[in-house]
Amino acid sequence: MTQTDISRAERVQVKLFASKAAADPHDLVPVFHRWIREAKVPDELLIDVTDYTHVWRGPGILLVGHGVDLYYDLGEDRPGLLFARKRAFEGDLETRLTDALKRALRACADLEEDGLEFSATEVLVRVPDRLHAPNDDDAFTAFVPVLEAAARAVYGAEAVLVIEREEAGTRQPLTARLRVEDAPAVRTLA
Amino acid sequence: MSERSWKSTLGEAIPAPLGEEIDAWEAQIELKKGPGMDDRIFAETRLRRGVYGQRYDNGLRDDGTGQKPLEFPCGDLKKGPDTVFDAPGMQRIKIPYGRITAEQLDVMSDLAEEYSDRILHVTTRQDIQLHFVHVEDTVDMHRRLAACGITTREACGNSVRNVTACQFAGVCNTESFDVTPYADALTQFLLGHPDVQDFGRKFKIAFSGCHGEPCGLVTFHDLGATAVLKDGKRGFQLVVGGGLGAVPVEAKILMDFCPEEELLPVSQAVCRVFARLGEKQSRARARIKFLIQKEGIERFRELVAEERAQLRDDPRWTDFLDTLHGPIENPIRDGGALPEAAPPRFHEWAKTNLRPQVQEGYFVATLTLPLGDISSEQGWLLADLARKYTGDSIRATVEQNLAFRWLSGADAVAFWEALDTMGLAQAGASTINDVTSCPGTDTCKLGISASRGLAGELRKHLTVIRDQLDPAVKPLRIKASGCFNSCGQHHVADLGFLGVSRNVGGRKVPHFNVVLGGQWTENAKSYGMVVGAVPSKNVPQAVELITAKFVADRQEDESFQAFIKRIGKGEVRKLLAPITKPPSYEEDPSYYSDWGDPREYTIGDLGIGECAGEVVPFVEFGIQAAEQQLDQAQDLHDVGEHGKAASQALRSMLTAAQALVRHLGHEVRDEADDIVTLFREHLHDTGLFHDPFAGGKFATYLLKAHAAGDEEFWTGADAEAAHRVIDEARLFVEATHAAYARIGETPQLTPPPAPKASAAAAPAE
Ligand code: SF4
Repeated sequence: MTQTDISRAERVQVKLFASKAAADPHDLVPVFHRWIREAKVPDELLIDVTDYTHVWRGPGILLVGHGVDLYYDLGEDRPGLLFARKRAFEGDLETRLTDALKRALRACADLEEDGLEFSATEVLVRVPDRLHAPNDDDAFTAFVPVLEAAARAVYGAEAVLVIEREEAGTRQPLTARLRVEDAPAVRTLA
Repeated sequence: MSERSWKSTLGEAIPAPLGEEIDAWEAQIELKKGPGMDDRIFAETRLRRGVYGQRYDNGLRDDGTGQKPLEFPCGDLKKGPDTVFDAPGMQRIKIPYGRITAEQLDVMSDLAEEYSDRILHVTTRQDIQLHFVHVEDTVDMHRRLAACGITTREACGNSVRNVTACQFAGVCNTESFDVTPYADALTQFLLGHPDVQDFGRKFKIAFSGCHGEPCGLVTFHDLGATAVLKDGKRGFQLVVGGGLGAVPVEAKILMDFCPEEELLPVSQAVCRVFARLGEKQSRARARIKFLIQKEGIERFRELVAEERAQLRDDPRWTDFLDTLHGPIENPIRDGGALPEAAPPRFHEWAKTNLRPQVQEGYFVATLTLPLGDISSEQGWLLADLARKYTGDSIRATVEQNLAFRWLSGADAVAFWEALDTMGLAQAGASTINDVTSCPGTDTCKLGISASRGLAGELRKHLTVIRDQLDPAVKPLRIKASGCFNSCGQHHVADLGFLGVSRNVGGRKVPHFNVVLGGQWTENAKSYGMVVGAVPSKNVPQAVELITAKFVADRQEDESFQAFIKRIGKGEVRKLLAPITKPPSYEEDPSYYSDWGDPREYTIGDLGIGECAGEVVPFVEFGIQAAEQQLDQAQDLHDVGEHGKAASQALRSMLTAAQALVRHLGHEVRDEADDIVTLFREHLHDTGLFHDPFAGGKFATYLLKAHAAGDEEFWTGADAEAAHRVIDEARLFVEATHAAYARIGETPQLTPPPAPKASAAAAPAE
């Protein structure tokens, strides 16, 4: 696995956790429908809303788009906003990650207007692209500087960052947990 | 340095023939992106690879304030007529007889996560479906599936669909013998076979190990095979021409005993007859059941026998028999007894979800999947669980669950505890809280009501109150379909629900037709009776009312089917009467949205009609009268007055047609000939009555019935003919509702086409 391979990874996911979650995940259904009407996500075609709250620690409420999906995700039993880039974006992995982080923060800031709150101090980052980013040591080593560069582009050059590898299992995609000391509020970063 | 690709990475892991097919599929997509490929041809090619359309893929969606275009980046590029290239679609993964290995589950979970929405959906035909997939991603998906032994070839399209079989095959104590190798042999034999490439419609095959249990559901398949032993020799009872769909039809016996060596050639002969003589032009009449209706089962048998006699020998017909008697699966752990000491929750789960195998010390554990869904994460965990406890023995079930076979009794508690840590230890498999549903309006293009939304609501509620339910109520099954195509198999549920739409005060309201007393056992022996429609939001109340009455008025050990038959439709209708009318929009607008969807309800591309105040348009009285006549027809049929019932069913179609003709502003007399002539002229020939998906199918029900004879003629109908015409009349009246909704309360009149010489009464086929 080389830096070149991993930089070709197309799909990335970032999740920011809710510090004040929705009283009921279903509250997000009308919010996401409204986002479709208002074309709330810039440069993105939003298509539909799907409810997966019946699935244990699953995707929760999904706002399906053409190039990206947004989930009010229930994974790890910790609700949060999961932004998934799936297609239609030029550039390398660092560009995609930077964009994903910024858009996830923007979406969190928008959801805060509906009474939820999010923290920017912890971000779960996945690269569900097993072709270019298998979940192994080499790929993770190649991934760390890419993630670090993307995080600095969003949190600032001086931000104190910790990047840990998630060892959930070999079938899981390459996954890292980014921790940012004293991260500003999502609204400030968005 | 060349770029990595799945093709080069997987290399020889992809079997060569599958690899070639997938390369061809990739080339076809590239061709489609240029000007070189016809939309219709690409669509059929795509479907034959299991790459299906999904709701809104025509590039239009009502966002709750009106229909809006979805501006996909591909512009005008299509992947089928009216199907936008970039629009997300569904990938159906064909799983023959539902058998899944741990590796396959891992791979499908990977694919769901990378290309779909992180969910694997188990269907009522033992397939796995992934939604919101881009057509260009399917190439790599197919390669990765092929590398673990799965082809999506002929998962959709006019071909042999997934061959299904009981999930207990080989481990069941009521089966004659294990049907798995036969289902496998027929799957392999027919896959891509030249004789199955020219069907007018899809063709579904199912296997069952015995007559008594429901798992195989052969009676509503195009071809059903039930294992039979005759003088110690293995064979099958073969049935043909069953189907659910708009009008459910029970399959008819083709052969009482087809010896095992004749299974493949006879099936091939059936396929050849269907390909040669089946309808090709009218999609609505292209299933094999219509051919059998047309020819009669006797003649059809002769045709199959003649065809069989002409077939040239093929060694594959019997090759598989040599390897037949070895074990299909081997346990990976020693068998053992269930431990006596276990948590009470385990015992509760074991009562419904654990079934002893015929092999001493082993059990089949059924995982109750909510709405048939698992996440990728759960998929990986389950694959590991299979590796640890049961080996490659997972089977998807027609009730949208997963069965793990060869679980040692000694491991059962540990297995259950592991399930509990992944949210899958819910009790109640195949009981009232294990609600089955098709995708409905969530993702299906044809959905009329939110069957999944309803099923989710019922499941949630019934799971909470499960412990308090009467023991007679717990084993009942609930199934919901989003439209008349019946993919949720509601016809064979105790309590079935079928999505329909109704006009109320100028707005559309989602409803479900209540279908009661279908029989799941004996391979889904009989279909339920339609009681009438209730607003979607009142369905949970309907379930409560019906089950409470069953508990209160049941006689001794009376089954639900017998109970419904005894009290009859009239009684059930009386029971439901207080909840059949929704409140006005002003009183409670929630009735005007469907389950789980806050948008105001619409059907298809329709906008919301202008509210006409309190005035009920005259046409609505007419449609209501037609419904009442139809109910009377059903009542007459229930008491054995078949002729009168058939005649009344025809009358109901005439009443509905007359109402709609009048609504268009035309003078119409009460005589049948006049109604039919004007209906044909102004609604059929103009296409106004045509369903957006079924075309003129429903209109032909009236034209055909009228062409066959007048109301007097129909008084001579037998039970089967009466049953059919009642079902058709019900669909016709439904279609009248839909046509009225499309036309609106103030029709824009267009001059009718010039009358044709033959505009009298011949069916428009
Ligand atoms: S029954 Fe209708 S809504 Fe449901 S999946 Fe089938 S076609 Fe779609």
